[in-house]
Amino acid sequence: MNGAARLRPLAEIRGKPRGFAATGMVAVLLVTAGLVAFPRMVASPYALHLMILFFLSVAMGESWNIIGGYCGQYSVGHAAYFGVGSYATLMLLQYRHVAPWWGVWVAIVAALIVSLVIGSICFRLRGPYFVLASIAVAEIIRLIVLNWKQFTNGAEGILLVDLPPLEFGGRVLTDWLSKTPFYYLSLVLGLTTLLVNYVVEHSKLGYCLQAIREDQDAAHSLGISPPFYKNVALAISAVFTALCGVFYGLYIGFIDPASVLAVDLSVQMVLICIIGGIATNFGPVVGALVLVPLSEALRANLLSKLLFSVGLVKESSRLGGFLKENLAHAHVLIYGILVVVVILFMPDGVLGFAKKLIAKAARPLSAEPSPLIGGIDGPA
Amino acid sequence: MRVLLQSAASGILIGGVYALVGIGLTIIYGVMRVINFAHGELLMIGMYLTWILFTSFGVDPFLSIAITIPAMFVFGAVLQKVLINRVLNALPQNQILLTIGLGLVLSNLVMLIYTSDYKIITTRYSSSTVNLAGIPISAPLAISLVITSAITAILYLFLLKTDTGQAIRATAQDRDAAQLMGINVKRMSVLAFGIGTALAGTAGALVSPTYYIFPQVGSAFTLKAFVIVVLGGMGSVIGATLGGIIIGVTESLAAVYVSSGMKEVFVYVLFLLVLLFKPAGLLGRSRV
Repeated sequence: MNGAARLRPLAEIRGKPRGFAATGMVAVLLVTAGLVAFPRMVASPYALHLMILFFLSVAMGESWNIIGGYCGQYSVGHAAYFGVGSYATLMLLQYRHVAPWWGVWVAIVAALIVSLVIGSICFRLRGPYFVLASIAVAEIIRLIVLNWKQFTNGAEGILLVDLPPLEFGGRVLTDWLSKTPFYYLSLVLGLTTLLVNYVVEHSKLGYCLQAIREDQDAAHSLGISPPFYKNVALAISAVFTALCGVFYGLYIGFIDPASVLAVDLSVQMVLICIIGGIATNFGPVVGALVLVPLSEALRANLLSKLLFSVGLVKESSRLGGFLKENLAHAHVLIYGILVVVVILFMPDGVLGFAKKLIAKAARPLSAEPSPLIGGIDGPA
Repeated sequence: MRVLLQSAASGILIGGVYALVGIGLTIIYGVMRVINFAHGELLMIGMYLTWILFTSFGVDPFLSIAITIPAMFVFGAVLQKVLINRVLNALPQNQILLTIGLGLVLSNLVMLIYTSDYKIITTRYSSSTVNLAGIPISAPLAISLVITSAITAILYLFLLKTDTGQAIRATAQDRDAAQLMGINVKRMSVLAFGIGTALAGTAGALVSPTYYIFPQVGSAFTLKAFVIVVLGGMGSVIGATLGGIIIGVTESLAAVYVSSGMKEVFVYVLFLLVLLFKPAGLLGRSRV
């Protein structure tokens, strides 16, 4: 803070510095290498389970981001694709003995069909009407699954009894008994959705989607067909959400309408993006980094243990017993509080908030940006 | 024929309560252009308030609205001041998310305090019926329809005849013009959210003798309230009344003639049809 106006390098003003892409790439590769090696270094099944939940949350958030973030269509009915994917695979496996690596293709086709039906109904509506319609369609699907007992086993759900070992060329690759194969599967899922997000954002498709998000009528008048691009974005988003559903079904081994088709699940997918930072590649990663440990800490009762150890509440007291009993079930409460805080105080998500803080710290407070640069490029 | 009449009658009865929920939502939307996704949760709070009054103090659920209405009004006004007021000019998506988050907080707080066990209020008239032209109808629902009609009538008079009511309607018609005419639109917003919350809470109190009370009961009501409001036309109080009755009857007929588990499917399908073919609703002005 020397008070003197400091000229920023041209590259910084024009956009990201040149080396940034390369550094970012190296960082991503290093982190990926670390994640690949993770199961060799950490044997704890619980740690692996947490990582799997984290990757699954990332994949769910990134999938939603394509339609909700880049295209600006806030679907609060994404549980429909998640549920359809998991139900298609598990029902085929359980009732027809179709191996999941064949069933997953059925799940993809099913999700595509559902997305086209939903898209053709809901994309005629805008803004809040679209949100309401997406919830209504997802609820219709949930109620049908819940009530069509002969076909879907209704509220009792489907319990996966055994997962056939994965064989390739007569050799058993994995028997799915440990968590390690699931770890790698979820890692691949998370990385793939991240990559898809990156590719979509930097493709013509992504530019069209963002144009529609910013001003649908202007985009339309420039020859971008909003229904077409919205449906494409929804289809991509639906397929990857369905893959998340397939993975969830196979990993957890039990699905029912309350766990894979509920509105809560749709809301959770939205929250991962909102909390991290919407319409950014790494927003859902940050969102999952915040949400998964927090809800897990509540589930494992770490919060009440912390309160006891600090001495705020006595474990033996009535309130202590109550907290110990009930706080573990209230992890959704954290989601609610987080989203309220994020919307009120950091509408660009944690990532956007952090960027703003860094930008503030990097720029000397007293140094006014020169009006010319500020005028052309806006605030950095 | 008898079954048809009976289910239609019970549909109209429950429709009266739905109308109350819908009117609350539509007033909030009309004045602030904020879609309140926590509306069902406000109803749930009303239910729990009634349950607490009933079990701890022995207050009759229908008499308890004398306490529920002012309490919920204050609660709503505080919510508006503290939370909703800050996002009045934000993106509609952010408003929706804020109210969704608020709903999650409310339902999970209640779950934390009272667990997710189902509660019931059993009064001596809970399962009694009254005869109306040979059709037996549930007594608590009949009482609630009477109360609903009275509240709706008072609300109409308030909105049409009093200065404050006219100021609320003016704010709903054109916020900027109303402000230029010297109306305190901020106060109208607080008032509207308070009235909406009080109506939701009252509806909660009125259905509590006939419904299970549990923390997640709200979400079904939220979605249904939207269906009602969209059906009648966003921002139209008469439309919401009509929408409530239509939804009540649809649900009741579907429960009798198809299956009770599928009754909501019909409501949602009706909702989608209205959105697609008459998006302004039955009585609303075109907006989409």
